Amino acid sequence: MDYSNLRRQAASLKKGLFDQGHLDEQFRQVEDLQDEASPNFVEEVVVVFFKDSGRLISNLEQALEKYPRDFNRWDAYMQQLKGSCSSIGASRMKNECMSFRDNCGQRSVEGCMGSLQKLKREHAILRQKLESYFQLLRQVGPAGAATRPAM
Amino acid sequence: MASSLKALLVDDMAVERLVASAMLRKFHCEITMAKNGKEAVDMFLEGNEFDIVVCDKDMPIMTGPEAVEKIRAMGATDVKIVGVSADDNAMEAFMSAGADDFVPKPVRPEILEPMIQEVINKKNN
Repeated sequence: MDYSNLRRQAASLKKGLFDQGHLDEQFRQVEDLQDEASPNFVEEVVVVFFKDSGRLISNLEQALEKYPRDFNRWDAYMQQLKGSCSSIGASRMKNECMSFRDNCGQRSVEGCMGSLQKLKREHAILRQKLESYFQLLRQVGPAGAATRPAM
Repeated sequence: MASSLKALLVDDMAVERLVASAMLRKFHCEITMAKNGKEAVDMFLEGNEFDIVVCDKDMPIMTGPEAVEKIRAMGATDVKIVGVSADDNAMEAFMSAGADDFVPKPVRPEILEPMIQEVINKKNN
């Protein structure tokens, strides 16, 4: 297997995530927490993030329907999601969270709905790209672990 | 840095507990986790002792500041309590409740490290 090519692909994919603003410096902080004792820590964090964020988005969508114009409630859900996005460096998602909260502050239902759609798009894009990234890393596996792609 | 600090980490979001606990583990802390303020307060009511509490603000059942107030009211005045939040207005709420410090999210290790060191120094003196 051409590990060097796989490593290059993984490095390129990750670089793209940073260059396109999907990820910020906080993701590197998470990577720094990975060590021999927890070799899959970053992937584990990402999996838990998408589980948490998927649930929060779903809860918010239900709240938008069940509690119309309850901007305080909607804002509270988004505040939680913003915190999680910050923790893993999901920068574009975090920005959409902030946009949604701004719309809550302006009591704009249309604005909130628009922000939520953008957030869901960013969520899906980031999920797909990170899944591809970790799939490549798994292919590189222990044989390529000594020269894991770095940014 | 070598320590055996007992840390209580309070956050309702699993991903944030995962990241923060990994940071605390790097500082050799022994970590207990709570998912909301009430669980944190219950830990103290059960007689557990901690050197440091790292506590989120907005949580179901009981918020961080509410928990901090109750923990201090119990007489746990020595434990260092650090409030964390992505909410810009959280600092005042935490400090009014009796927290010692506030750190904005995302929590950075270089911000946490001196706080950990301060607790170690105090414990060793």
